[in-house]
Amino acid sequence: MLIEIKDLKKNYSLGDAEIPVIHGINLNIEKNEYVAIMGPSGSGKSTLMNILGCLDTASSGHYYFNNVDVSTLDDDALSIMRNKEIGFIFQNFNLLPRLNAIQNVELPLIYTGTPGAERRERALQALDRVGLSDRINHKPSELSGGQRQRIAVARALITNPGILLADEPTGALDSKTGVEIMRLFEELHAEGNTIILITHEQEIANYALRNIFLKDGKIHSDRPNPLKVTIN
Amino acid sequence: MQYGENIRLALQGLVDHKFRSFLTMLGIIFGVASVITMLSIGEGAKREAIAKYQDLGVNNIIIREKSLSNEELEEIRAKFSPGLSIQDATVIKEIVPGVERIASQAEKNSEVRYNDKSVKSTVIGITPDFSAMMNYKVQKGYFINDKHYSERLKVCVLGAGVAASFFKNEDPIGQLVKIDDQWLEVIGVLESKSLFTETVGELAARDLNTDVYVPLSLFLNRFTRENVLTSEIQQITVQINKSDKLVEASKIINEILRRHHFNNDDYSIVIPFELLKQEEKERQIYNFLLGAIAAISLLVGGIGIMNIMLATVMERTREIGIRRAVGARKVDIMSQFVTESVAISITGGIIGVLFGIVLSLLVTLFTDITTFIQPYSVFIAFSFSVIVGVSFGYLPAKNAANLKPVDSIRYE
Repeated sequence: MLIEIKDLKKNYSLGDAEIPVIHGINLNIEKNEYVAIMGPSGSGKSTLMNILGCLDTASSGHYYFNNVDVSTLDDDALSIMRNKEIGFIFQNFNLLPRLNAIQNVELPLIYTGTPGAERRERALQALDRVGLSDRINHKPSELSGGQRQRIAVARALITNPGILLADEPTGALDSKTGVEIMRLFEELHAEGNTIILITHEQEIANYALRNIFLKDGKIHSDRPNPLKVTIN
Repeated sequence: MQYGENIRLALQGLVDHKFRSFLTMLGIIFGVASVITMLSIGEGAKREAIAKYQDLGVNNIIIREKSLSNEELEEIRAKFSPGLSIQDATVIKEIVPGVERIASQAEKNSEVRYNDKSVKSTVIGITPDFSAMMNYKVQKGYFINDKHYSERLKVCVLGAGVAASFFKNEDPIGQLVKIDDQWLEVIGVLESKSLFTETVGELAARDLNTDVYVPLSLFLNRFTRENVLTSEIQQITVQINKSDKLVEASKIINEILRRHHFNNDDYSIVIPFELLKQEEKERQIYNFLLGAIAAISLLVGGIGIMNIMLATVMERTREIGIRRAVGARKVDIMSQFVTESVAISITGGIIGVLFGIVLSLLVTLFTDITTFIQPYSVFIAFSFSVIVGVSFGYLPAKNAANLKPVDSIRYE
């Protein structure tokens, strides 16, 4: 089992009051699954994603990643987890504007202490994988939305992480470009990657093989996607 | 994270925001420049003072005849004081403990002539120990020795200025010059000495390069004095073997002379080393003040860096969030921001050092203040700027590292 979540709860403190956001979730995700987590705003899907991505920790319960109890890790260990096991893809790309494409893609490897030459080589491979090897010296501001998101995907891929965690990856793109990104995900899944999509759009969720629907901090439904859309 | 990467990032940051970086550095630049300039002014003053007193000999006590008018001299002679004499020197040497050498000197102002040229000069009759005590060096020939003295030989040693005005191309050694009605053979020429620009006690400021030295025995025997009332000699220089015994010895000397001169106050005692110490003390307060001003400007520079760094951290919250999301640990973020503030302060420090050196040179060039830049002052100023960078960069860097990744990545 790649991901195993047991009775996970998350509260936010607002002054004296504790506001529960996730009320106890149990969830298993296997290697090479393609999962979409859906839900309206306020359903707790962003919080769940933060916890899955080791950006945040749970208030109680357990989160096992490759049988490691993430809830017991300290800040440094969480950083290493994010570095090695999680590939983030954000709605707004989250690229560093001052760095060019290849420098952005190299970024995670800097924190693993990989030597410069190897970083560059792997970054070139990752950029090649997303079809941007002709744009390596461009700054994000010189690229289109779709190209930026491809750089973000390349950055997510470069450490060969356990999961790709995509938060509304097409939210800032027009529908045609969005479909191209979804095709890229489809290919990455076919190559053996585990992908977790966070979205509130059923249309996007339809590309995944399993749909989990959150409501009020609980899993409302969890089923294989019968309407799986394949892009050719 | 690799340090090289941090440094590359920090330098790129500096270049990307040239104007802002420069403004941030200004405080450090002025701070470092003022430290260097002020230390160089202090050091210059110190060296000037040491040079001045070194000419007088740091282990010497100088007893000097007071310059008195004829009426005053008559009065003193009426009160039985013979004035300074060789006898005084002999007694001092016998009684005062720790006397290593003693030299008497008689002086008169006279014209020195060579062929058709003449120079106004101070003719000084000295005993052979004199050159060793005053650290005089000859550039040609040699100084007056025991043989010249005991045999009253008609020889002289010229100051560098006198020699230069007489002899352009000829060798001065062996030439004859005329003082009053005496023909003297030149046996040596002194090295040029720096102008004695300040009056120290009874020692008036004058140009030592116009002096001409002759054996004291010859002087007393052959030269007529300007005045019958003039003392036998004008100065006694006493060299003591330990500099901490100078004050004690000078008290004993004073006692002896008071008795021999029948309580007439016709001499004065100068201890160059004590004057040097006193000057040093006064200068210390001054240096401390200068240092404090410079330190404050460095401090202000540091606060400037902190201010900008805090603003930068705010501005770059999102960047910090992204770096944290892809795996940067707190310590990585921390070292990135500390490196950045150190890069600012080091760059400012380097510019400040250069600026300080230029400023010191300008001070020397356009005022009569002497400056001297000691290598250690550059080192101090530079290390201070690094320390400022680290210490004032620490807090902003810590703030940056402690941002929660989940909050900072969504920061707009």
